Amino acid sequence: MDRALFPDGVERCSFGKFSVWMMFIMAFFLFGLFAMLLIFAKGIVVTGLDNYFGFGLWITFDLAVIALGAGAFFTGFLKYILKIDQLKNIINLTVIVGFICYSGAMLVLTMDIGQPIRAWFGYWHPNVHSMLTEVIFCITCYCLVLVIEFVPLVLEQKQLNKIPFLHHLAHNMHVNMALFAGIGAFLSTFHQGSLGGMYGVLIGRPYAFRDGFFIWPWTFFLFVLSAVGCGPIFTVLVCTFMEKLTGRKLVDFKTKALMGKIAGTMLTVYIFFKLLDTWAWANNYLPSVGMTFDQMFYGIIYGKWLMFTEIILCGLAPAIMLITPSIRNNPTLLYTAGILDCIGVTLNRYLFTVQAIAIPVLPFDNWQFYAPNWAEWATSGMIVAYGFLVMSLSYRYLPVFPQERSLNK
Amino acid sequence: MGLDRRGFVKIVMGGVAGTLFTPVIWQGLDDTSIWSQNWGWIPRLNKGEVKATSALSKLCPAGCAVKVKTVGGLPFAVVGNKDNTMSKGGVCPVCAGGAQLMYSPARVKSPMKKVGEGKYEAIKWEDAEALLLEKLTPLKGQEGKIAAISGDETGTANEVLSALLAGLGSSAFYVMPGEMFTAGKGVKLMGGSGQPGFDIEGADLVLMVGADALDSWGTTVANQKAFAAARPTGKEAAAQYVYAGPILNNTASVCDKFVPVPPTATAAFCLALANALINAGAVSSASDFAEYKALAAKFTAEEFEKTTGLKPEVLADLVARFKAAKAPLVIAGASFGQGAGALDFVAAASLNVLLGRVGQKGGMTLLPAAPKAIATATDRENAKDAASFLASVATGKATPGALLIYEANPAFALPQPAEMAKAMGNIAFKVSFSTYMDETAALADLILPAPHPYERYDDAMNPYGVAKPTYLAGKPVVAKPVMDCKDPMDVLLAAAGKLGLSLGAETYADAVKAKAKAVGADFDALAAGGAWTGEPKSGSLNLGAAALAKAPSAKLDDKTVAFAPVTKLAYGTANLATPPANTLVVRDTELLGKDLFVQMNAATAKKLGVANGAKVKLTAGSGEVKALVHVNEGVAAGTAAMLLGFGHSAWDEYTKGKGDNIYKILTVSDEAGTGLKVWAGSTVTVAKI
Amino acid sequence: MSHGAQKEFKVTWGMVIDLDKCTGCGACMTACQVENNIAPMLDASNKMRTLSWMLVFEMSNKKAAPEAEIAYLPRPCMQCGNPACVPVCPVVATEKNEEGGIVSQIYPRCIGCRYCMAACPYHARYFNWEDPIFPKGMEKALSPNTSARPRGVVEKCNFCHTRLMKAKDKARQEGGNPEALADGAYMPACSEVCPTGAITFGDLKNPEHKVYELAKSEHAFRLLEKLGLAPQVYYMSKREWVRKLGDNYAAAGKAGAEKKHS
Repeated sequence: MDRALFPDGVERCSFGKFSVWMMFIMAFFLFGLFAMLLIFAKGIVVTGLDNYFGFGLWITFDLAVIALGAGAFFTGFLKYILKIDQLKNIINLTVIVGFICYSGAMLVLTMDIGQPIRAWFGYWHPNVHSMLTEVIFCITCYCLVLVIEFVPLVLEQKQLNKIPFLHHLAHNMHVNMALFAGIGAFLSTFHQGSLGGMYGVLIGRPYAFRDGFFIWPWTFFLFVLSAVGCGPIFTVLVCTFMEKLTGRKLVDFKTKALMGKIAGTMLTVYIFFKLLDTWAWANNYLPSVGMTFDQMFYGIIYGKWLMFTEIILCGLAPAIMLITPSIRNNPTLLYTAGILDCIGVTLNRYLFTVQAIAIPVLPFDNWQFYAPNWAEWATSGMIVAYGFLVMSLSYRYLPVFPQERSLNK
Repeated sequence: MGLDRRGFVKIVMGGVAGTLFTPVIWQGLDDTSIWSQNWGWIPRLNKGEVKATSALSKLCPAGCAVKVKTVGGLPFAVVGNKDNTMSKGGVCPVCAGGAQLMYSPARVKSPMKKVGEGKYEAIKWEDAEALLLEKLTPLKGQEGKIAAISGDETGTANEVLSALLAGLGSSAFYVMPGEMFTAGKGVKLMGGSGQPGFDIEGADLVLMVGADALDSWGTTVANQKAFAAARPTGKEAAAQYVYAGPILNNTASVCDKFVPVPPTATAAFCLALANALINAGAVSSASDFAEYKALAAKFTAEEFEKTTGLKPEVLADLVARFKAAKAPLVIAGASFGQGAGALDFVAAASLNVLLGRVGQKGGMTLLPAAPKAIATATDRENAKDAASFLASVATGKATPGALLIYEANPAFALPQPAEMAKAMGNIAFKVSFSTYMDETAALADLILPAPHPYERYDDAMNPYGVAKPTYLAGKPVVAKPVMDCKDPMDVLLAAAGKLGLSLGAETYADAVKAKAKAVGADFDALAAGGAWTGEPKSGSLNLGAAALAKAPSAKLDDKTVAFAPVTKLAYGTANLATPPANTLVVRDTELLGKDLFVQMNAATAKKLGVANGAKVKLTAGSGEVKALVHVNEGVAAGTAAMLLGFGHSAWDEYTKGKGDNIYKILTVSDEAGTGLKVWAGSTVTVAKI
Repeated sequence: MSHGAQKEFKVTWGMVIDLDKCTGCGACMTACQVENNIAPMLDASNKMRTLSWMLVFEMSNKKAAPEAEIAYLPRPCMQCGNPACVPVCPVVATEKNEEGGIVSQIYPRCIGCRYCMAACPYHARYFNWEDPIFPKGMEKALSPNTSARPRGVVEKCNFCHTRLMKAKDKARQEGGNPEALADGAYMPACSEVCPTGAITFGDLKNPEHKVYELAKSEHAFRLLEKLGLAPQVYYMSKREWVRKLGDNYAAAGKAGAEKKHS
């Protein structure tokens, strides 16, 4: 029924099937939307956040999706600045994933701050000392960059592209894409880092605090490295998931393996520094404030197994897998490594967000427990649903995959 | 249409410039920031001149002399009055939120008449007063037909009430239980008379046996000020404080020593200490010293350990402290301000006699009976207790036709409240003069709203615990009460007039001023925040040995535990549920959600087979209370402690249904030899749910 | 790496709280709630959602009966000399730049991101999870000293700053020096109401104020000294177990990690 809107030379499933799929996703989206409206009406009181856990699922979710969406800027940097041409096969997908991740994070943030109408105050009253001011600047600007990178893709929709003005607009934007990629890489490096910097400057939270270089705590660099160490492979996982769902090949394995190599290399660098950092923190910093490594953990939910899982099982292991060609070139192992990698980075974001503030620093204070409630899950689910919606529409109508025609002959 | 690079750049630049130059964006941003600060549902502050007006804040039993801060005439805060010789600038936690209580959602808004089970109808004052008169008139002249219960310990209102009853031919005037009542009886058992006082200020060793003197006993603020003066920050302490009681409470937390004594062993502890002191050389010139010495000799250190679980070194330590002290003082009281028998009082007070501290500086004093404002009023020392009265109503021994309840909550704050409520049900006509919709008002046939302390005249004669006769009085801070209320005494004095009585005052203000005159105080100086003080009377006491000989000896048992009710002033009083501004002070190891905690130490928990956080029920007699266990090492051996004042079924959403009312499991018994009703030595059975 | 540099002020408002005199009565908490227009809470037992600018903690020596001892510790905002919260606020809604060293909180500017709450190890900052609900009529008992806050903004103790401004005005009117107020001319509500006088308040730099000497006492300590936040609230206790609970001592640390006094 909507055949005229498909990209050239490719097949898509029936409109009916597509509608059913979209309805299914919409259900999650609408449930989350209901929660979101409730939050705007009644306040954050309806969530599971509290005085000890001002940051919770939403912040973890935001940081995780921003890290996972790093594929956009890093691939853009590699393709447009370092001219690794093979990445053109997957670059559009990384832009869409990036766009979904950042716009989704921004949507969550409108709920997460108590006074959303004042969100723009970060521009009007910026604090030069605050990592969060830097984050606000950079993620809003970068979201704009992603929109600018996404727009040409939309304009290349078969029917839209027939309009000369739009065609030329898209063409001109493509020509200048290197500029945007450069800006995007610059902005991203800083905000990925500043998100880590946000935790590293907390002198009141021994779990998160780090020394560093000039004004940047070590977590600044660790967060950038971990983001580029998982972003590319996350895009690969999204691609593979889409292939499984649609039954069509979208990107050739060579490109996927290249993304895996990129992610694996950065992940290896990251894990190296992460291990060094963890050791220095546990041995030097913690004793200087009178605390021990053991005091950073409690029970099962805050147990050492989480840190071990994050750094070894979901850090060192996938790093080794991804930089070893024989492992990397095996699809199952590539995807497994990718999943472990992404889980590891998500765990890292969770631990710095939640465990860091669960630890009682005052000796007569207690460990507290946090569990997100239905409103937080529903709204996070809404963003995931939003991502599925955008991606479904993009896949169906936009020429996202240059290799699709040739791979599906 | 072609679009070359130049055209593209032009479009982009044009768009950006246009966006920046249109006022829409800037104005919009400005507007949004103003909206986000000025939502209509956020309360605005009141404006006007800020003044501080002296007042007598009788929200706590003793009363605090305060200054109420007003803005444009509206009270908003309460601060202490540094010039008042009793309060010395201190304010208790309940009075600190006194201004907010004027708007408590539990306040009765207008006279209410019961029209059905749990249903009330607002009526006009003229109709309410007419109804009151209608019900009282036929009962005039018949002994015991009109009864009154008062929850006020110190006001001239008691004189008005008892004189009114006397004039109507009834002597059925009763007071709610309190320290003052039992202490007075105790002094009689020691061959003396008058209300006892305790000169904490002048003492260099203060041993509080049960009496929670730094939080909820006596004139708490004055006690705290005396404590503060004796222990200036950064300097050497001039006095030692020791607390002996069932739980490491607020008082004990700042004492030099805490001695955990189960509530069933208070008298035994005192006698064991007496024995140790006598063995160390203490001798008394009291007439019954030989008897006392022989009695105390039974309370050896080994017996002491059996009864209290405490090692003999504890006694030795206390004896050493007493020997080193020049002006020791022993304060006797129940750990929760009531229900202790007179014998517990006598046991502790006898230590003062033993050490020759009666009538001395820094010791125990006796107050002369205060002059009355109304001649026909009942003397304070002849007061009768409301618990016994309602018990006799329950059995049918007493058959009043009308009951006036003045600022009291017997349907909640008496042991076995369900029976007390049922007894009240036997009385045909009940009037509750209450500021708040409490459990008793919820049972009354007629509720006559009383003003809040800052809306009325009132006074306080000899609040319990003062070392010297002390009188305070106050007048209203605001011209008009917040609710449609009338001073209860004004109502009763008007009714008295209509019933043909002349009590010498037309309004309560007159009565209070008459009291001031009788006492020899200048009412205006008092209303401006002053205090009148007199001199204690001379007089000696004996050791009460005859009475003490009948004191029951308690032993720790395997099945039951001793039960210690605990009071914390911030959480409310017998008349006042936790005020809205104080609910925050309650700890989450005391109340969590709707669950009240029972405190016990690890050994007791183990013996009972319960763990921290376990759901349990405590039973005694026909009463049962549910709680969660909190393991608290500050609780004495074989003892379970719980907070009083929770489990309200009336009041407001801040307090209704939170926790349980432990008055339900306080079992009342007759004290051997004194005939007093006692419940401080209750025991309970604890079982897991 | 440079942390926030510590600004010095000529006047430094601080407290010395005597933990041997705090009975945990809670008058300070109530007076604070009243002075600062904090609405009464329906479930005040859920300490994870209550607003308690002043909060009394219960400390225990963790011994079994009968050696058990407890102490109560009132915790206002520490007004740190090197605050963890000020550098992190993205919109400069909290600052430490006024003579006296009080860390301000600007409600109309706060966007409610709660980053400052994550930063504060003393949990001195609270969030308005919902709009304040006063029982009907109780708005008439609002204090004129503190504006009512809407939901979604962070708030905290500010040493009753309005009282400082009033004390300065009074000094100016009476010909005194507003930058050198007399001891006791300016007192926050908690210090004023405390019935045992456990909370002493004043200018830590003024020798005529009691806190000047008290803060230097051998029994004085600050919470979490080792983190380097330089709190302006000192505590005192003659009991060593109480002092030891003021900081973490689980690890010996490197040289120079010993407790520091200012």
